[in-house]
Amino acid sequence: MRNSLIALIGTVLVAGSGLTARADAPPIHIALTAPITGDYAEYGVNFKRSVEMGIDEINAAGGVLGRKFTLSVGDSKGDPKESATLAQKWVSDSTIFAQIGDFTSTCCMASQPIYNRAGMIQLSPTASHTKFAPGSKWSFSIVGTQAFEQPVMAALATQKLKLKTMAVLYINNDWGMDTQKFFKENFEKDGGKVVATESFFQGDKDFNAVLTKLKQSKPDALFVATMYNDCAMISQQREKMGWNLPVLGPSSLYSTQLVQLGGTSVNGLYTDVSFFTKDPDPRIQAYVNGFKKKYGAEPNFHAALAYDSIHLLADAIQRAGAVDKNKVRDTLAATKGYKALTGNITFTPDRDAIKTYKIVQVVNGDFQLVK
Amino acid sequence: MFLQQLINGLAQGSLFALIAISFSLVWGLLKMVNFALGEVYMLGAYAGWLVVMHVTPNLAVALAAGFFAGWAAGWLIEKVAFKAMRGVPHIASLVCTIGFSFFLKEMATWMFGAETKAMPSYYAKTAFTIAEANVSWLQLLMVGIAVTMMILLQVLFYRTRIGLATRAVALDFRTASLMGMKVDKITSLAFSLSGALAGFVGVLAAIYYNAVNPSMGFVAGLKGFTAAVFGGITSIPGAILGGYLLGGLENLSVQFVSSGYRDLVSYIILIIFLLFRPNGILGKKTKL
Repeated sequence: MRNSLIALIGTVLVAGSGLTARADAPPIHIALTAPITGDYAEYGVNFKRSVEMGIDEINAAGGVLGRKFTLSVGDSKGDPKESATLAQKWVSDSTIFAQIGDFTSTCCMASQPIYNRAGMIQLSPTASHTKFAPGSKWSFSIVGTQAFEQPVMAALATQKLKLKTMAVLYINNDWGMDTQKFFKENFEKDGGKVVATESFFQGDKDFNAVLTKLKQSKPDALFVATMYNDCAMISQQREKMGWNLPVLGPSSLYSTQLVQLGGTSVNGLYTDVSFFTKDPDPRIQAYVNGFKKKYGAEPNFHAALAYDSIHLLADAIQRAGAVDKNKVRDTLAATKGYKALTGNITFTPDRDAIKTYKIVQVVNGDFQLVK
Repeated sequence: MFLQQLINGLAQGSLFALIAISFSLVWGLLKMVNFALGEVYMLGAYAGWLVVMHVTPNLAVALAAGFFAGWAAGWLIEKVAFKAMRGVPHIASLVCTIGFSFFLKEMATWMFGAETKAMPSYYAKTAFTIAEANVSWLQLLMVGIAVTMMILLQVLFYRTRIGLATRAVALDFRTASLMGMKVDKITSLAFSLSGALAGFVGVLAAIYYNAVNPSMGFVAGLKGFTAAVFGGITSIPGAILGGYLLGGLENLSVQFVSSGYRDLVSYIILIIFLLFRPNGILGKKTKL
């Protein structure tokens, strides 16, 4: 209690001294759009936490160009309509300088024309659809698309694991189709062969039938393009069938929840990540520990991307040397080798980031780096 | 492999069949559908999960918790959506049950969070293997429970006084009431029993799939209702048959067509079947 009181007084003093020093400079106003409630609440809440944490750090260090940051948060509920309405709200507020968000590609693409017309930076931490960032010169995505990610998984499968044949199971939505398409392309280019492909719909719980069918093609391994919770169920049912083989999947599987839900059935699973909580890098450890201390939870990949977004934006404003929308957009687009927690960021001409990926494997219920 | 798919279908069909019976119970009495049954199933699954995680790993206790949670939910839905709305057009009760389904789902999200929770396995070991097809103890147990439930309910309805009273109320509740039967009590009992069954199946499904989440009831309710109509919604053996046929059809269409078309194939067969036999497999001709 006394500690928190001292901390509070300290914060007030620091904030106060900052204000008196630059009483004339108004703060830089940033808007965050995220699904704080609804089906994606888990991710939206982490967006908010990470961006708030980032802003606190930037302000504690004296802000950018002598100006502090201030944040407005809007809840899109994971609904494209809500996301577009919020975009209208942000662009009609002349104090707002740039927007961070939204979580899903669909939401980002729904609000994209509004930011494009108004000339406001739309920086999405997570939109990985190959058509998002090329859609407007004001749109940026830092997660890296499936077109960049899947060659890594294909190389792992063919070169390191020496797999020849693969069965693919994916969720039947935009993202799942993109993921399996890029994996198949790259895996077959590297000399492998996809011997069976099956899909399922959101909400399906019974995978016994598809797994039984995939098993008949006798593949060397199984590629699972789903979110972590579906993958946990698929793995459980596969284990009960007595079908043991190597399993691989995209970075959406990287979550401590995968291990909690999947138990022993996910042991040995491979996935690729561009952010790893056990990375010895002191900056990553500082973020992970700070997040844990502040919110009592471990940050995941999506949270780290949101944290990178706010710091990248601050860095771009610093480099541009002026709080000017056009200048900052051009500086942001010219970003080269920015050292983010989720890997270095260099934007392509289409404003997508090419990331470097690390391979991790579940070993005894814990993710570990594969050298 | 055909055999393995058939076994998968039987296990999944047992879940469909038990939910189908829950629908049949309410339909038989009131000619009404309780659209919140899928969410009662979800609630039962959470009750079972709470017991396993915080009280005892005993499966029987978890199943009982699901049963009683479902009983309470069924009882409440009858009091609000049917008893309080007697005399107004049936459509009001129907919409009220839809309201309940949203309410229960949001309540679970608020209480337990939107993320999926893990449920431990029970009896997952292989009981026997025939022609390369594995059958687990849990799959055997599920089929056993579905058949036992059917027999118990048949005995209840055709061999006991309370069953006789229920059938009388189902036939004509005004006359039954004039003959001195406690119509309210019997309706309440049937609803609670229907809810209890749904809650009980929820726990079974949670164990079979090792997962519990607030949106698990929607698809389950839809499939259960379909199975009930398929089998002939007035008949309990029909509901069981409908459940197994739907389970078998779904799994075999994955095998012989494609997983992307599993619902398409099974529902086309269902629609064609109902065109020729609108009362379902074992349903009697009734005027609606």
